[in-house]
Amino acid sequence: MKFLISCLLLAAITFSSQAQSKINISGVVKDTTNSPLDYTSVLLLTPKDSALVAYTLTNKNGEYQFKNVDRQPLLIKATYMGYLPLQKELVLPETGDLEVEEIQLMPILQELYEVVVKAAKAPLMMRGDTIEYDASKFKVPPGATLEELLRKLPGIQIDADGNIIAQGQQIQKVTVDGRRFFGGNTKMATQNLNAESISKLQLYDDKSEQAKLTGVDDGVKEKTLNVELKEEAKKGGFGKISAAGGTDDRWTANASFNKFDKTNQFSIIGYGNNVNQSGLSFDDLQEFRGSNAFQFGDTGDFGFNGSGGISYVVFGGDNEESFEIPFNNLSSGFSNNQAFGINYNYLKDKKDFSSNYFFSRSDQIVDSYNSRTTFLDDNSSFTSTDKSTQNNVAGHHRANLRFQNELDSTNTITLTGKARFSTLTTSLLSYQELIRSSTEQSQMERNNKSDKWSGAFQGTAIYRHKFKKNGRTFAASLSNTYSKADQDGIQKSIVDLVNSTDPNTYFRNLDQVNQALNSSNLIKSSLLFVEPIKKTLFWESFYNFSLSTSETDRQVYDVEASDTPQLNPDLSRFFDNTITYNRLGSSIRYANKGSNLSVGLAASNYKLNGQFSVVQESEILGAVDKNYINLTPNVSYWKTMKGNKRLNAGYSMGVTPPNISDLQPFKDISNPLYIREGNPDLKPEVAHSFNTGYSMYDPATFINFRITLNSTLYESQVVQNQTIDPETFVTTFKPGNVSGGQRHFSYIGFGFPIVKTKFNAFFNANPSYSKSLTLINSSETETNTFSHNFGLNLDATPLEWFNIYAGTSFRLSKTKYEQNPSQNQDIINWSAYTNMNIKLPKNFFLDMKFNYNRYKNESFGFDQEVPILNAFIYKLLGEAKKWEVRLSAYDILKQNQTISQYAGQNFVSTGRIETLSRYFLLGVTYNMRGVEIKNRR
Amino acid sequence: MKLKLIYSIALILISTGLKAQNIIGEVEYRYRIFYDKIYSNMPHITEQEKDRILLTWNNPEGYSTRMKLQFWPEKSIYTFGAPYEVQSYSWQVEDYFIENNLEDQTYLKYMDQMGKTYIVTDSLNTPKWRVMNEIRDILGHMCMKAVTEDTIKGQKITAWFASDIPVPTGPEEQFGLPGLILAYDVNDGMLIVEAEKITFGEPEEIITLPKKMKGREVTGAKYQDLVREFIQTSTDSKRAWMWEIRY
Repeated sequence: MKFLISCLLLAAITFSSQAQSKINISGVVKDTTNSPLDYTSVLLLTPKDSALVAYTLTNKNGEYQFKNVDRQPLLIKATYMGYLPLQKELVLPETGDLEVEEIQLMPILQELYEVVVKAAKAPLMMRGDTIEYDASKFKVPPGATLEELLRKLPGIQIDADGNIIAQGQQIQKVTVDGRRFFGGNTKMATQNLNAESISKLQLYDDKSEQAKLTGVDDGVKEKTLNVELKEEAKKGGFGKISAAGGTDDRWTANASFNKFDKTNQFSIIGYGNNVNQSGLSFDDLQEFRGSNAFQFGDTGDFGFNGSGGISYVVFGGDNEESFEIPFNNLSSGFSNNQAFGINYNYLKDKKDFSSNYFFSRSDQIVDSYNSRTTFLDDNSSFTSTDKSTQNNVAGHHRANLRFQNELDSTNTITLTGKARFSTLTTSLLSYQELIRSSTEQSQMERNNKSDKWSGAFQGTAIYRHKFKKNGRTFAASLSNTYSKADQDGIQKSIVDLVNSTDPNTYFRNLDQVNQALNSSNLIKSSLLFVEPIKKTLFWESFYNFSLSTSETDRQVYDVEASDTPQLNPDLSRFFDNTITYNRLGSSIRYANKGSNLSVGLAASNYKLNGQFSVVQESEILGAVDKNYINLTPNVSYWKTMKGNKRLNAGYSMGVTPPNISDLQPFKDISNPLYIREGNPDLKPEVAHSFNTGYSMYDPATFINFRITLNSTLYESQVVQNQTIDPETFVTTFKPGNVSGGQRHFSYIGFGFPIVKTKFNAFFNANPSYSKSLTLINSSETETNTFSHNFGLNLDATPLEWFNIYAGTSFRLSKTKYEQNPSQNQDIINWSAYTNMNIKLPKNFFLDMKFNYNRYKNESFGFDQEVPILNAFIYKLLGEAKKWEVRLSAYDILKQNQTISQYAGQNFVSTGRIETLSRYFLLGVTYNMRGVEIKNRR
Repeated sequence: MKLKLIYSIALILISTGLKAQNIIGEVEYRYRIFYDKIYSNMPHITEQEKDRILLTWNNPEGYSTRMKLQFWPEKSIYTFGAPYEVQSYSWQVEDYFIENNLEDQTYLKYMDQMGKTYIVTDSLNTPKWRVMNEIRDILGHMCMKAVTEDTIKGQKITAWFASDIPVPTGPEEQFGLPGLILAYDVNDGMLIVEAEKITFGEPEEIITLPKKMKGREVTGAKYQDLVREFIQTSTDSKRAWMWEIRY
């Protein structure tokens, strides 16, 4: 430090303003042994707010000098490594310069510095003569008491009796946040307070109780230890409850409660209603699952995929086969729904555990009308209609467990367990008509019932390891999924008009019982290894294995005349199969400055084995034994550019093996109108996918633009070829391979503000084209579908209390039949919406939502409009806005129904479901955290 | 005014011409940002949303980036350090360089902010630092606490400077204390920047600014105006600005 030499004397800190009010300040800094301290920082501060005015360093003689400092009240402060910084007020002379009296720095107690400052990394705070520090920085075992913490602190001893001795004096009393703790009993406090809940300890001399009472200072000081508790900011709880009732006995209720602290998250949720809400809202789901709400990469599948880098994630719904909690689900028809869930997460250090159980039940009645017109080669057609009433009662129990542990900085293990158990009872009453012409019609009534339970379990383990060499990683996964389902059913049908005796016709009387027992087991394992070759070049290798075994046992009994049910050998089937999949692949990745290129190749092998018979152990009717080997290349490129621009392009080849059921050389006549026949010569479907896209976003102007183009060309597409019997109209499907099918879809989106922050517009279009080829009655039929979809959305917040959103979309689907142009279809779906939120005075709010949908198909004269108007008026009550009273009106125009339209290869279908219509609700909500107003998207 | 005092210190250190071990070196900082805390404290966030964000996105470790500062008595230069983890993909293309010239009291910032590349040059304008009565140890250096405020970003800044490294600079946009800033914190833990390695002596590989700097050239005052306007617009649109402006 000697290098600074006397030059520092020249460290004249000059302030060049008014000359007359300037002062020179100089002095010397020494330590307690009177040796000068060089290289000491000396600071001048203002006493008012400690603002830094000037600073310098002392020379080797410990001398410092400030020149031409503004004459104003000043503090001087000296700091030197290992010494307690010293601060004092300067008394400026009326005139002339100031020679400050010698500053003596005290060394910090070595124990204090080593233990508190260095080891515990706790800052030391100087307050007059006392030193304060943050006791929470000291590591103590969980559950340790204050006494154990005190033992760790320098300068404090605990004697055999548990008395605290600080700086040689016994502590007289302990206060918590300044208040006496259990009469000031020190031992009571030290042995009962949890060390983890303490943030700061302060040690000072307090006036005696006597002095406090009398107000007369008796000069007696009590050594006092004040304990400051941690702010419980991390602890919290929130919850809400709401209930509403209305016209036509409509009601809805839901409640949720969350409690959480740093390590624990607990929540419960429940709902019930008869207004078709059969899932949680997204916000509720997020709150319910807490830290576990967003978990990605838990599938353990490594390596590139065959769909061109596009992976679809399906959200929502209450799918029986799914382990996931249903959300964002609004069912059709009329339903009565209940659900209850409980979730617990534990997060500590590198351990992360979460668990939940969710039960949902739905009793749904669906009245629907479906019509399907099938075209025949001779330009004629026939139509089948189905008017049905279905009642589904479904109950789902779902449980999820997840545990992730970062064992150390290089090893991470993730375990997940999922289970579900479902019961499903359905009953179907249906009236079907088959219309050949105005004179030839037949009718059938069906009455089916079934009872089913199904259960499944999935366990996954993923291990990830990072090697010492930065960038080298290894991962392995293993998972097992087991499922089982048992179904018992009754099928009855009565034909009114022409009861055909031909067993190949659909319209015949039936009285059957059936039972099906299905089970499957899937074992999957994947390995991944990434080796950095250079800083920007990586070599990635992966291996995937899966073994899937499944068994189907379906038995159908006729109960027509005899009392004992007779096994129907045409419809009963037992079959078991095994699919073994192996894939080994490797890719080279280049990653540099936002550019990423990956080129890879994989070899895959599918082995399909299966056999089937009427019942288990009976004569083998057929067997499948197939082995497919394919090489699949994969290229992907993406580039991130400055200014939030991104470009991507990729190619992938996907190979999908045929379904085992498509390979069976056997006729399945369980649905006599649609007979399915297998094709043992079927080859896997090979698809070449190309994708490219560009996106940009300018955060300063909020302009965003995105374009994507995806194309798939099929080399050997598996299609269902059809043969339609012109007499009976029975369609026989037989899968076959065909090349030349194509799908192209694109997306263009453009958003921009018309008036910044107040008025935004977003335009999108997604034109698509698909070409599909099938054999219909042995002649190749080409169907081209062009779909044009345009949308425009506007949102405006012209005033702080008023927002409006409006949008429209128009979709035209043109289906062209190459061989049968007279049947070309133009299906139009047109929709428009507007949402309006108005904040009225006195915490009143008004929301209006209007949705208009129009479905049109001119060739059938189909034209249906569905305008839906909903309105809500609500008021927040109380100062904290914890209460809300809401009046809701749904479907004021009483127009709600669910419409579907579809044009396929040789048919057009429309469907209509009667759905919950106009009702009114009046409800109350209580939210512990204050009701949330969502007037922005 | 205060520039002058910094200037004189710098001048002394330079003019002595003596090699001091602790006035030249390189510091690696861990830049840890806590998006959950920042997000949940945005003005339009309701209590319920705040709970939801903290519950689902809570990340006690924050998101870390390694940064690098090289300092000499006359200047300092700051940019990204080597990534903590080598990834087989690359998405970062943004440049972020801050060069403080302590000799003539100017700075040059070359950075991608608000969707554009800016070249900002101006004179160093020392913020009003208040020096507090607290010390703490960072990598064996006793540091004093100093606090200031950034009124444009609405930030309360708590810095810790080492008076035994008398170079008045620091990481990010912090400088102007009687020693090198080894750590600082924004709004009680929304951002924590802390030195994790100090190497004294001439750095092995000196950070160089790109030879061709393309970008919009603005003065410090103009840039401040742009930031102020951007934050205002983002706040009005209920968007978070910290994705586009270095926090």
